[in-house]
Amino acid sequence: MELEFSGNTIRLDKELSELDRLVLRFVKILEKSKIDYVIISGYVAILFGRSRNTEDVDLFIEEMDFAKFMRLWRELEKEGFWCLNTSSPQNAYNGYLKEKLAVRFALKDEMEPNFEVKFPKSRYNIYSLKKKIEVALSAGKMMTSELELQIAFKLSLGSDKDFEDARHLYNIFKEHLNIELLKIHIRDLKVEKRADGVIWKKA
Amino acid sequence: MEKGMRLTKKDLEELEDEKARNRKQRMEFVDMYAAWLRKTPNKVWSRQHNKYFGKAKIKAED
Repeated sequence: MELEFSGNTIRLDKELSELDRLVLRFVKILEKSKIDYVIISGYVAILFGRSRNTEDVDLFIEEMDFAKFMRLWRELEKEGFWCLNTSSPQNAYNGYLKEKLAVRFALKDEMEPNFEVKFPKSRYNIYSLKKKIEVALSAGKMMTSELELQIAFKLSLGSDKDFEDARHLYNIFKEHLNIELLKIHIRDLKVEKRADGVIWKKA
Repeated sequence: MEKGMRLTKKDLEELEDEKARNRKQRMEFVDMYAAWLRKTPNKVWSRQHNKYFGKAKIKAED
């Protein structure tokens, strides 16, 4: 795997999957709408070669007023997406996003893959949005969460699939990770024992 | 009336052992796969990856 690291950017020239292209299509709409976002979740591991599929891509988007959300809603509709939870943008905004719940968007008349979008609420969410990194692909770029945080967060989620994602990211990036920062995130999320079993110890 | 499997404590312990073995083997595969990825050109692994993963039913091309 050839990766180029430059400041806050990782360049990955690979053959894009249909899922990668769909993610680029979705984030282009966010960028066009001038909305700050970060991709978290299993898709980050898949982007970097993890051998599994996913039905959803999780993102935090900046908290915004209803008028800005309405512009995003219209733009998503125009570009062929629909909201799976509700057909009402007022309900999506007030009943979901403002209530710390996610709304899901997919291509019209389809259920998956879908984009699970949330406002950042916790300190962890806000940190993710603030400390993101750029992944540059041949057909565009996307913002993903800091790798050290992504690994620690996967440990905190706690399923076998999450542990495998964490280990995959660690295996791929170990020479480039800030290990001190990773240890801090592991400590903050109180997942030291899981890290011992999943990251630090050989399988 | 269905009798079910009537698993004993020993059967359940064996099942737990099996799950632990599976978990360990999956982790070994994660390591093996990452080791392969690291030495394989992007063009090669991503093409193979795309045959099986990352599929999305996209109606309209971007």
